[in-house]
Amino acid sequence: MSAAAGGPVAVHQFIATLNPHDATGTHALKLRDALRAAGWRSEIFAEAIHDDLAADALKHWMYPEHARPGDVAIYQFTTSSPVAGYLAERGLPLLLDFHNFTGPEYFAGWEPESVERAAAAADELALLAQQALLGLAKSPFSEQELRRAGCRRTVVVPVLADYGRVTAAPDERVAGELAQHKAEGGADVLFVGRIVPSKAQHELVKALWAFRRLYDGQARLHLVGGTSSFEYTKALQDYVDDLGLSAAVRMPGEVSDAALAAYFAAADVYLSLSAHEGFGVPLVEAMMAGVPVVTHGAGAVADTVADAALVLAAADHSYVAAALHRVCTDERLRSTLTAAGTRRAAELSGDVAGRIVDAIATVVPRP
Amino acid sequence: MTDTDVTVPEDPQAYVEQVMAEIAEEVRLRRASGDLPPKLERQLDELFLAHSPVAGRGGDLGDALRMVDAATFIDPVVPVESERAAGAVVKKGMRSLLLWYVGWLTHQMSQSASAVSRALHIVDDRLQELERQVEGQRVPPTGVVEFPALQRGDAWWVEPAVAAVATARGRILQAACGDGWLVRRIVAAGGDAYGVDPRARLVDTAALGTLDLRGEPLGEHLRAVAAAGLGAVVLTGTVDGMAAAERSQLLAAIGASLAPGGTLVLHSVTRQAWDAADAPTEADLAAGRPLRPEAWCTLLEQSGYEATAQPGPGGADYLVTAVRSAITSPHPPTER
Repeated sequence: MSAAAGGPVAVHQFIATLNPHDATGTHALKLRDALRAAGWRSEIFAEAIHDDLAADALKHWMYPEHARPGDVAIYQFTTSSPVAGYLAERGLPLLLDFHNFTGPEYFAGWEPESVERAAAAADELALLAQQALLGLAKSPFSEQELRRAGCRRTVVVPVLADYGRVTAAPDERVAGELAQHKAEGGADVLFVGRIVPSKAQHELVKALWAFRRLYDGQARLHLVGGTSSFEYTKALQDYVDDLGLSAAVRMPGEVSDAALAAYFAAADVYLSLSAHEGFGVPLVEAMMAGVPVVTHGAGAVADTVADAALVLAAADHSYVAAALHRVCTDERLRSTLTAAGTRRAAELSGDVAGRIVDAIATVVPRP
Repeated sequence: MTDTDVTVPEDPQAYVEQVMAEIAEEVRLRRASGDLPPKLERQLDELFLAHSPVAGRGGDLGDALRMVDAATFIDPVVPVESERAAGAVVKKGMRSLLLWYVGWLTHQMSQSASAVSRALHIVDDRLQELERQVEGQRVPPTGVVEFPALQRGDAWWVEPAVAAVATARGRILQAACGDGWLVRRIVAAGGDAYGVDPRARLVDTAALGTLDLRGEPLGEHLRAVAAAGLGAVVLTGTVDGMAAAERSQLLAAIGASLAPGGTLVLHSVTRQAWDAADAPTEADLAAGRPLRPEAWCTLLEQSGYEATAQPGPGGADYLVTAVRSAITSPHPPTER
């Protein structure tokens, strides 16, 4: 590759949706800064851009106005998008930054349109993986997916995330409310993530039911996160009501960074029973915040937490309840998990930008 | 939270392993003591399924249309009750003021929804007609095919099957459990086992006691199980006569329910036993025929298992033991 006359090679990013509040959006913005710091020209081109980031990105179809010979594209692959077809047609030298995607089987029966979209994402991955110079996977789990899809050269580098937000000053009002409930007794169990079938929040509710019945009658479950799956959310709310857990299960929706810090600060345990995760940024946030993690190893979860969490072999609610009880009452276990969690979080957050830039430099000459 | 021993152990990995074993033991004790009654657990699993959308319960278009019909009429006359003094009067006044406008909008919306509903009813009628026409070609789901001489407590394969799953981490599901004889054996060996059987009458008459036996088809049960919710699955009398499509669906459902590293044990008769004169009538009526053990190994390896087959001494049956890869693809291959 040669630089265009008068400037360094550009390494541009393409993404389906640039959103300031999701992991991929944060990753793309931080990566753009890292690429620029390394001396490459770099812009973000997206199919959809959040209003707050209007100055940070351009529509993907505007790329030709900015195209220069020697340009390289990084595609932030998260879901099906016309951007994939656009890149395949342009034939730019391509790097695939693969965040994984939720398979169609997890939407079956809930969201027919998402089933189709997920199936299309698999086709798009197969299309792009074969032409990619390099695949950047967020976990060994995702690396396997990339390899299976035909990507010949891959490397595992974690997500660029803003982990500092969970250890920043918590929202005082939210912290006060949580402290008030805690004073009444009972453990606070936390999960952070969109309310969608693949995150299996209903399994968390089952586990809470068993935990309260057997061990801690005042335990609470906080399901923090917005939703794009209204059928599932309604079913979840009805399920919570039927089990008589309306007062014990809180669903505050999407919250501010400061409120999120308050939830992590108040949590006794972070519980994830997701059926699929491509990486699991909130798992790292929990470890970073010193909250012990209980989970089971679906998707990339086992890779992300490594040996720093209580990884249950199976997600059966009776085992989860017993594990929650153990983590909440065994100080030695808590200390073991939080110490390992802090170490693991440091591994996953240390100079990620530098590692990604080094990986890119193996196929794109440094400026 | 207690404040006892807070020293981090010298070997945290070994300590966490020990804790996991203690958790498994705790669950076993709780279950044995009746703290987790099987009936209550069944209800817990089934309750959420009852809230899933129509498609999640089998995709019946008639049910969906009834819901559409019920939601088609939009009532512009809002309730005006109020807990506050004069609240009802204010609300009533607002309703009177807005009714002519809101009523005009809702009338059009109801009409539009009715038109869509009518169109869908036509689609439903035509689909029903098509279903009637293809009914003759429908392959019914394979039932349990029992070979009493091969499926009993003193059979050669029982010991290795129990040994393969008894130490599984998590619950062990046995399909076609009948009166629960194999479930009992696994539980006695230390496994946290339960059973399902589509022949509900057998389960109902079984000595339930502390055994968790459920009278429901395997496929339906697996839909209610958490992803990666099982530590092991034991199939006997289940897969022998399955057609390819049903087999493929079952493997996909087990793949979704079995935890990474979990064990699948499968006992099947051979074609020789299937075709023998003393084979049960169900064998003749089944849509498929038993696979050779090599075929099962190939299928399971394609689906992310490491499988080994063990032939029975008389050539009448075999046992396949398969361990699911610790990292599995979310998109398993289908049988072609």
